[in-house]
Amino acid sequence: MPDAIRTESLTKYFGSVVAIEALNLTVAPGEIYGFLGPNGAGKTTTIRILLDLVRPTSGRAWVDGLDCRSASLTVRRRIGYLPAEMPLYREMTGARYLDFLAALESRPIDLAYRRQLLSRFDVSDVDLGRRLDHLSHGMKRKFGIIQALMGHPPLLILDEPTSGLDPLMIEAFAETVQDLKREGRTTIFLSSHVLSEVERLCDRVGIIRRGRLVRQTSISDLRRDTPRRLRVFFDGPAPSLPSSLAAALRRSGARHWELEWPGPLGGALDAMRGLPVADIEIDPFKLEDYVLKIYSGTDGDPE
Amino acid sequence: MFLALLGRSLARHRALIGALAALLSAFQILDIVAAYNLQENAIYSQFAALVPAFIQEAMGGALVGSLMGAIAIGFVHPLVMLSLSCVAIYIASEPAGEVEDGLVDLVVARPVPRFFMVTRSAVAFAGGTAAIVAAMFATSRITVHWLTPATAAAVPASRLAWVAANLLAIVWCFGAGALALASHTRQRTHAAGTVALAAVSLYLLQFAAAAWAPLRPFARVSPFHYYDTMRTLTATVTPMGNVAGLTTAMLALLGVAYTLYGRRDL
Repeated sequence: MPDAIRTESLTKYFGSVVAIEALNLTVAPGEIYGFLGPNGAGKTTTIRILLDLVRPTSGRAWVDGLDCRSASLTVRRRIGYLPAEMPLYREMTGARYLDFLAALESRPIDLAYRRQLLSRFDVSDVDLGRRLDHLSHGMKRKFGIIQALMGHPPLLILDEPTSGLDPLMIEAFAETVQDLKREGRTTIFLSSHVLSEVERLCDRVGIIRRGRLVRQTSISDLRRDTPRRLRVFFDGPAPSLPSSLAAALRRSGARHWELEWPGPLGGALDAMRGLPVADIEIDPFKLEDYVLKIYSGTDGDPE
Repeated sequence: MFLALLGRSLARHRALIGALAALLSAFQILDIVAAYNLQENAIYSQFAALVPAFIQEAMGGALVGSLMGAIAIGFVHPLVMLSLSCVAIYIASEPAGEVEDGLVDLVVARPVPRFFMVTRSAVAFAGGTAAIVAAMFATSRITVHWLTPATAAAVPASRLAWVAANLLAIVWCFGAGALALASHTRQRTHAAGTVALAAVSLYLLQFAAAAWAPLRPFARVSPFHYYDTMRTLTATVTPMGNVAGLTTAMLALLGVAYTLYGRRDL
């Protein structure tokens, strides 16, 4: 089975500005892939190349094994897209907007599924009858999500899907993504700055910085490999540090140590056996910490 | 799919098309009523004497001071020609506006062939302006029939239809020019403004060439050069060549639009 998305040496220059350079990424079918990067890193350009809205300077991209350039129409039949900046026909009502976009699809829209989405995202008949320019930002975003999902496409490309949504609607979005994941028929390529959401929903992440993919890894591997921060408190003065913990020590105080332990925590706990430990605080894994290091270039990777 | 796109485009421009159709139709009525009154009072010759020769020449020759000339003015007045051209230009610049607003992301991210976007805009500007000219034509015929049945017989509908077709061919040229530019640029104001300015300049060039002989060779680049209303109305010429030439220019510009839009980053 071909990759749901694959890019090979994908490069795009806008004049002398490098948008993306030699980007190689793969997304497996049925996967939920978080595409992360600071503003201007090249996320939207990559997405727009997949949709053939922008033509690459060099390199190629495929969706379900189909070339995004030469088989553009077939590729776009498989994609539901939510742009980051939600473009609207301001003079339209919500219902007309959805009907108009449904008329541009190559296959009929399942109206029952659309109604289900409208209900899940709490869009009432009154909202459907209102002009789009009279709606709040969050409500416009809901229409954006619904228009991307309503065709039940095999590939969803969602650029900042929850920006502007209230917590209830963020939850509704997460439930929808999880339902799609359970069904197993949809691949989701999701770009977001809300890292907690990415951590919760995605199977894998790709991190792009200055147009280059600097990391592509699964969340479970990240959880396993990312050093965990431990604070160990003692009943009395801190004892001398066992040699097996020496490399992990970041800071020590009169009555505590601060450790950064890579890999499973069992080894660290074993090393503390017999010591007068009063308490241990373990920071949970946070994708945010990991990603911020990469964004800021303090992860030790020169690129 | 195509009809949905076309319907949306026409819906977005229907107020503009409707308003100009109403205005220019009202202008036809006023023009013919005023001409009728001039004829009734037999002051055409005085009126013609007031108009400098080169302006008469630019506006169609000696027939300016006649009822037939007045009928023609409804189709040859610069405000009529330029306002129609500007509507065509504005509608045709929609592809640049869609890129500017980001709406293109929503539409072309779906399985919509790129050439649909150009064809949609071409049909919209051509159809929109054709509807306006049809309204002008119908209003002119009805008004002339109502006021001066004898003159109506003297100017057969087919002659006036040729005038209207010639006017439409000019307007479509500018529309196609705007569509070609809008298929390249990212800003609607840039596409529409540039071509509108070109339309005004080319009109002035044709007008100035009527007064100053050295400009005449250059006036050939102006679409307005290929519009001979009076001689068309009096059946001296049938502007088939003019219409064919202007249509060819329009088709060439549409070809440029398709090529540019097919290659561009949206």
